[in-house]
Amino acid sequence: MQVKDSNRNRRDFGVLALICLVLQLALAPNVGIGSGRANFALVFAGITSLLVGGRPAVLCGFVSGLVFDLSSTGPIGLMACLLTIGSFAVGIEARNRLADDFRRSMATFAPFAGIVSVLYHLTMLLVGDASSLVDVIIRRALPTVILTVLGFAPFAYVISHATGSTLSLGGKPSKSARSHGSRYDLDSV
Amino acid sequence: MPRKGAPTSQSVLFRRSEAGGGLRACVVLVALSLVMFTMSVREGDTGGPLNAVRGAWMTVTTPVRWVGGAITAPFQGLGNVVANLTADQGRLSDLKRENERLVARNAELEESEQTARRLESLLGLQSLYNLQSTAARIISGPTDSWSSTVTIDKGTSSGFSVGMPVTDANGAIGQIVQCGATSSTVRLISDENSSVSAMVQSTRAQGILKGSVDGTLHLTLVRTDQTVEEGDMVVTSGLGGVFPKGLPLGKVLSVERTSGSLYYEIEVEPLSSAESFEEVLVITSLTEDQKATSEDVAEADKQDTAAGGTAPTGDATTEDDTVAAEGVADGTAAGDGDSAASGSDEAGAGGDGGE
Repeated sequence: MQVKDSNRNRRDFGVLALICLVLQLALAPNVGIGSGRANFALVFAGITSLLVGGRPAVLCGFVSGLVFDLSSTGPIGLMACLLTIGSFAVGIEARNRLADDFRRSMATFAPFAGIVSVLYHLTMLLVGDASSLVDVIIRRALPTVILTVLGFAPFAYVISHATGSTLSLGGKPSKSARSHGSRYDLDSV
Repeated sequence: MPRKGAPTSQSVLFRRSEAGGGLRACVVLVALSLVMFTMSVREGDTGGPLNAVRGAWMTVTTPVRWVGGAITAPFQGLGNVVANLTADQGRLSDLKRENERLVARNAELEESEQTARRLESLLGLQSLYNLQSTAARIISGPTDSWSSTVTIDKGTSSGFSVGMPVTDANGAIGQIVQCGATSSTVRLISDENSSVSAMVQSTRAQGILKGSVDGTLHLTLVRTDQTVEEGDMVVTSGLGGVFPKGLPLGKVLSVERTSGSLYYEIEVEPLSSAESFEEVLVITSLTEDQKATSEDVAEADKQDTAAGGTAPTGDATTEDDTVAAEGVADGTAAGDGDSAASGSDEAGAGGDGGE
């Protein structure tokens, strides 16, 4: 019998958020391609959007974006804004995709990461932090997207293959959640 | 009877109501983000509540950054190891010859140093690099892909503040742009938004050293009637009142002269690479002899006057308030009176002279 366990779901997502936070602060600054750095805030927002969507994903996108903004030297609120909109857009149609199919989740996340990164860097260009569009796209946005997608891949793989967790990383969906269109009951997150 | 798996009217209604809730949250949070974004852009890098929050966040997260830096430190030199393993015989021979030359040169300099010390003690002269500084350790690189910065493990509790210059063993590497209680962010001179007033050591040709996205440095606004050779040392001119005068910045890698142009295009090789930074010195104050003298300002004005005072307006300015002081000095060197208008007296005088 499947039992809805929203506390455990929250705990699982809390652990996921903590992992992404530590990776963003400890790993991302020290691993890069050229000027590009992995964006684990984007990874976290992508996972929540692809898993649960809706209001929880929007909140997670906003908070993770805000954390990214506070950790960086850029203007505060920019990444928060982009991840809020992105999480909402991805969460509308793509929920459950992460657990269903690794390839499809990657195919959904990559454009999401690309659009958010390019918009972020273009906005920075518009506020006068750079002079060359080519540099912004080729030297900054592209490496960032590549590293971020690489950072997302292990999470997507684990979530789509693991079993037994109520984040349901692969576990069978609860009846109630399935009937509501989501197998992950995170409305209480 | 509805088909198995087909959405029921109840589930469709649920989705619609949930999407509506998500949309409401999205609209509210986007509005909040835009307000913060606007405030942040207006605040710049100094003062304001958002910068205070960021400073507190930096302080709280310093241990995580420090641990990350410590864990990844052994891997930082991996690139050098691979490069060394794949070096060809010719390269190794060159390095051996270079090493022999440097050993000989080192012995010569040590002798000179002994002589200089004796003379200094006799004449009571202070060393040129009598830097009043505090040591700090780099604990992290840039968090985002946008800036070329490093984080050091000391902040306002150690007496640091925004704008202080930072050096390593080879010379100036950057300037503090954000300062928390226990950590600070240093914008490197290789950052695209960095500009430092500099000069060619041998000929005293004044210019502005600017960073770029690919990490190379460019010495701009050096007039083509000045003499600049490949291999020349580029040092800080001290005109901004931020960096001490005479700190090494890099070596001239290439000099190009475009016909019809008033200025050289000079590429400069930095003396330090970001990977080699471990311990750095934060210069907490400058002594009088480390600041540019009125003669230096007059010399900069003289160079600018000879160029006709046609330096491009705004080249020396940055949007960064903390770097603006240096940018103003750069304006002095370039004769950019507009950019010097709001600067220090010294810079202002130089700018006026340039006009």
